[in-house]
Order: sequence, then C-alpha cells, then structure tokens
Amino acid sequence: MISFLIILFGVTMLYVSISTRLESYIKVLAIQGLILFLIILSDYSILHITSLIFLSFETLLVKAITIPTFLIYIIRKNGIFREVDPFVTNILSLIITSAIFAGGFYLAFWSQGAVNNIRPLYFGISISTIITGLFIIISRKKIITHVMGYMMLENGIFLLALSIAKEMPFIVALGVLLDIFIAVYLLGLFINKVQESYSDTHIDTLAKLKD
Amino acid sequence: MIAILLLFPVAAAILLLIARSRIFNMVLMLGYSIMHLVLSISFCIYPASFTQYFKTDDLNRLFLIVLSVVFAGVSLNLLEFLRNSNEPARKQSLFIANVLIFVAAMTGVILSTHLALLWVFVEATTLSSSYLIYFSRSESALEATWKYLFICSIGISMAFVGIILLSMGLGGNNSLFFNDLYAQAKNINPFWLKLAFPFMLAGFGTKVGFAPVHAWLPDAHSEAPSPVSALLSGTLLNAALLAILRIDKLMYLAGMKWYAQNLLLVIGFISIFVSAVYIINIKNYKRMLAYSSIENMGIIAIALGIGGIGIFAAILHIIAHSLTKAAFFLTSGTILHRFHSKSIMGVKGLLKTDPAAGWLWLLCFAGIVGIPPFPIFLSEFLIVKGMIDSGMIIQMVIFLLLLTIIMAGIGRVVLRMSFGEQQPGTDGHREGILAYVPQFVFIALLLALGFSIPNAIYTLILKAAAVL
Repeated sequence: MISFLIILFGVTMLYVSISTRLESYIKVLAIQGLILFLIILSDYSILHITSLIFLSFETLLVKAITIPTFLIYIIRKNGIFREVDPFVTNILSLIITSAIFAGGFYLAFWSQGAVNNIRPLYFGISISTIITGLFIIISRKKIITHVMGYMMLENGIFLLALSIAKEMPFIVALGVLLDIFIAVYLLGLFINKVQESYSDTHIDTLAKLKD
Repeated sequence: MIAILLLFPVAAAILLLIARSRIFNMVLMLGYSIMHLVLSISFCIYPASFTQYFKTDDLNRLFLIVLSVVFAGVSLNLLEFLRNSNEPARKQSLFIANVLIFVAAMTGVILSTHLALLWVFVEATTLSSSYLIYFSRSESALEATWKYLFICSIGISMAFVGIILLSMGLGGNNSLFFNDLYAQAKNINPFWLKLAFPFMLAGFGTKVGFAPVHAWLPDAHSEAPSPVSALLSGTLLNAALLAILRIDKLMYLAGMKWYAQNLLLVIGFISIFVSAVYIINIKNYKRMLAYSSIENMGIIAIALGIGGIGIFAAILHIIAHSLTKAAFFLTSGTILHRFHSKSIMGVKGLLKTDPAAGWLWLLCFAGIVGIPPFPIFLSEFLIVKGMIDSGMIIQMVIFLLLLTIIMAGIGRVVLRMSFGEQQPGTDGHREGILAYVPQFVFIALLLALGFSIPNAIYTLILKAAAVL
C-alpha cells in the first residue's frame, strides 16, 4: 500500500513537468498533501501518538486544503494568467524529469548496501522529487510557479524526513517548521507585495539588479 | 549569562514594538551591544553554558567576539543612521527590533551545540534580516529581498536534506549534538556522510555566499541600508561559515578529509573566479564590496581546503575580513549619504569633499586587498605558504593571479572615487562624528593585529585552529 502511494507521489511530479496550467499545479499540490496524509495513516506505527495527530492535521488541513485554496485565491485576486510559461518545452521538461527520476532510483539502488532500515523506494522518490522541485523552480518564469515548485520540494523533504521518523521523530517536526513557516511567509507577505509594485508576477520583471 | 544574550533581545524587541519611541530604540540597541561585547569577552576567561544546547568552546568564542565588536561598531553607526532617517518612529522601532532579533539569532547559531538547533537559528537569521534589507521599500529593495528570501530558503532546505541524510547514516545513536557526532564519527555510514556533506555545504554555503549559490548576496548587500550591509557581511557570513567548519570537522574525524578538502578547494576557486570576473567591470561600489565578500569567503574556503597552516590562516582571515568589510560598508554608507549615488561614476573627489571618509575609503581598500601591515596580508601569505608546502603550485599561480585581478579592479574604483576635484553640490550635509568613529576603531584594531598579534589573541586563534 505504501509503495503504491509513494509511486503515485512520483507520478504526480511527472505530471507537473508536462502540465501547462497553474490549476493543475495546485491540484497536484493538493493531491501530494493527501498522499502524504495517507502515507502517515498507513505507517502509523512508526509515529508517536501526538506527532501522528499533529502530522495528519498538518498534511490534510494545511497541505491538502488550506494552501491550495489560498493559491487559487491569490491567482484570482491578482489576475495571474493561467499559463505556466516555462523556459523549456514540455517534451524536454518531461525528459529531464524522467532523467532525474532515473538518477534518483540509481542512487537508491546504489545505496542499498549502505541502508540500515531505510526503504530504497522512499529514498529514491523523495530525492528525485526534491531535485525535480529545483528544476521546476529554475525552468518556469512566474513567481507563483517558483513558490509552488518550492512547495513540491518541501513535500519531497517531508517524505524524506518521514523515512527516518521512527529513529528521529523531531526531524519530521522540524520539517513541518520549515514548511509552514516559509510557505506562509512567502505567500502572505510577498506575493501580494510583489503584485503591488509589478504589473505581472513574472521573474522577467525581477531582473533590474544585475551586473 | 548566555540566557541573557539570547532572551534580552527578544524581550527588548517586544518592548520596542509596544513603546515605539525613538529614545527607547537607541537605548535598548546600545545597551544590548555593550552587554554583548562585555559578555563575549568574559566568555574567553570564564566559559559558560546554558542548558546542554548552548555552550562556549575554543572555536565559537572567537566568532562571538567578532560578532560583538562588529555589532558594537554598527550600533554606533546606526545611531547616526536613525538620526538622519525620516522614517516614522513605528518603522524605526520595527527596524531596531529586527536588528536585535537578527543579532540574537546569529548568537544562537554561534553558540548552539546541536546541529538541528543551529539550523533553526540559521533560518531565524534569514527571516529577521529580510525586513532589514527591505527597509528602504524601494522597488529594487523589494527585488533584493525577494531574491534573498527565496534563494536562502532553498539553501536552508538543502541543508535540511543534508541533515536528514546524515541522520540516516547514524545507525544506532540518534543524537545530533556535535560532541556525540564527533565521538562516533567513525561509526557513521560513509555512504550517507558523503551524500550529506555536499548538501550541507551547498545549503549553509548559500548563506556564506559561496559561488555558484551566491546570487542573493550582491543584491542584498547593495540594497540594504549600509549598517545592515556591514552586519550581513561582517557577521552573518561568519555565522554560516561556523556551521560549515563544524561539519568539516566531522568529515575530518570520519576519515574523509580529502573529500571535504577537495570540495572546499573547488568551491573556493569558483568563488574567487566569479568575483574576479564581476569586479573587473563593476559599476556600483556597494556591489563591488559584496563581490569582494564572495572573494574573501572563497579565500577562506581555500584556506580550509589546504588544511595544516591554512586553518590558522582561515581563522585569522575571518577576523580580519569581518572588521575590514564592516568598516568598508559603513564608509560606503557615508559616501552614499553625501553623493546620493551608488554608481562609481557619480562619486569623485572624495578626499577633498570629505577627507575623513576619503582616508577611510583608502585605508579599507589597503586592508581588504592585503597590503601590509594589514592582517589580511598575513593570512594570504600563510595560505600561499601552505599551498607551496603541499605542492599545489599551479593552484597557487591561479590564486595569486585572480587576487591580483581583484586588487586591480577594486583599486581602480577606489582611486577613481577618492581623487580628483570636489564636485558641486556635495558639501551640503555634514555627518556626525559617529559616522566615522567605528571605522577608525576597526582600522586601529586591524593595524594592531597586523603589526603584532597580542599574545592573548594569538593563543585564542591557535586554540580555535586546534579545534579543527
């Protein structure tokens, strides 16, 4: 069951790499939150009861519901055009993402000798998600897609942290700190402010400072 | 004692936000800076600890003193900055509150004995300093803040990935206290450690300003108010560097010295190269100083990569760079205030317009490029010696060549700005004495350090180098 969920998680990242609408990014973020929630539920034995409650609350309410709703609100309010505007074509993006996943799996299999009790699938998918998140950040033009790419990266980190939740529960808690803290901060404080001074939330307009 | 350093600023910040009084701002900031200076000097004689998470040791007390000295100078300069500022008291209070939290967060980074706690404090430095960069509220300041926040938050996430990977390799003992990590360094699984180190190096290195993850640094340093730039360059980079030093030591103890050293050498050379490329043709003098910071961080990385005598050189370089660059940035603030231009072409005849600032500008230049007797000469000399000793002749030639290019680039700008006739319309505003005193004190300290290192400081540096 968990393997299925994790693979599904990986597939969402592949889907992101070829989709051209902001809405599908938001949907993917919501689905990823839901998947993380289901992973936590089905892996409940590794977590302490308080962190189990807290994490399921965090993934379901914050990641799967609040943040996507807030993103939709921002897009409507600021009138951001719905196309994603990538620097690279869809096919190239898909090829690169697949290559990242292949690399991630290679690393995971390579790590098998060194693994104590970490599932290679966990490790492979989460590390590929993190790198794909970085790729999405650098290959898309809009500021809002940067923020979304960053959230996907965070989800990857969350998945990675879950794989050692049994040994080091506080690492997962720290991951949540990063997640909520930065997501709220970036969104609440900046997207709105950036919108005030720039006519479009596009990084092309953030290119005045350079040498 | 440590509790005071960490909790006082939080209490003071809350008080400031409630009171919103100009006098209060100045008194509390000055009070904290004096307290910081006195306490951090006292830690050298009486080591202190606060719970098991904060402790002074041979390495971090030196970093703490550098932070205190730079902060003391900057807080004097901030008094002048606030006096000249037209912002309402509410905004000034918010600004000073953020300064206090920022310094407290850096103190936390320096003193923490736990890897995850250190990481949390690094995140706190990012959040508290972003408001400081945004203070002028111009469009370009907004852009700089956005870049700073976004790039650094990605960096922090990467460092977190590194911490997770390290935890995976720990096996049985799940403690992230540095002492526990060092004690069981041999038992950490080398595969995970090798994977974790580049992540942590890139993550904390983003805050240090290593190229190629330096993109935020020139923007943030040039758009922030000059006292804040001085604080960023003189103290924040050091605090993040301490995190790298701690992890570096773990690598040494785990028997992966060559791996860590080679990565540091590569990243150091890239940093120097990138700053050389940009400095040759720079148009904005504050950006020039920012690139010079990248260069100096690169030099420190190279010194660490050489090892041996390089460690001593690295620590000396950290101290010297902090004081010099803080003085340099504070002086750039004075120049900016008088000429109203960050462009190099907009400033001419500095020595005739404002002799004190002109001389400071020249002295800081001499200090940063390492003209003897300034201590940067000594540290760079030791680095070159270390390179010869370990047979890195080609690297040494490249190193010296790049340093010469950077020296020429900065020299061209500084001399062009300093000499020449006074320009019309530049003698309206006179700065108060506080806009000059801290820099002269820094320069005097550096000269004292360069002519003969006092025995007490020499032993401090030696002990710190012995830790690594």
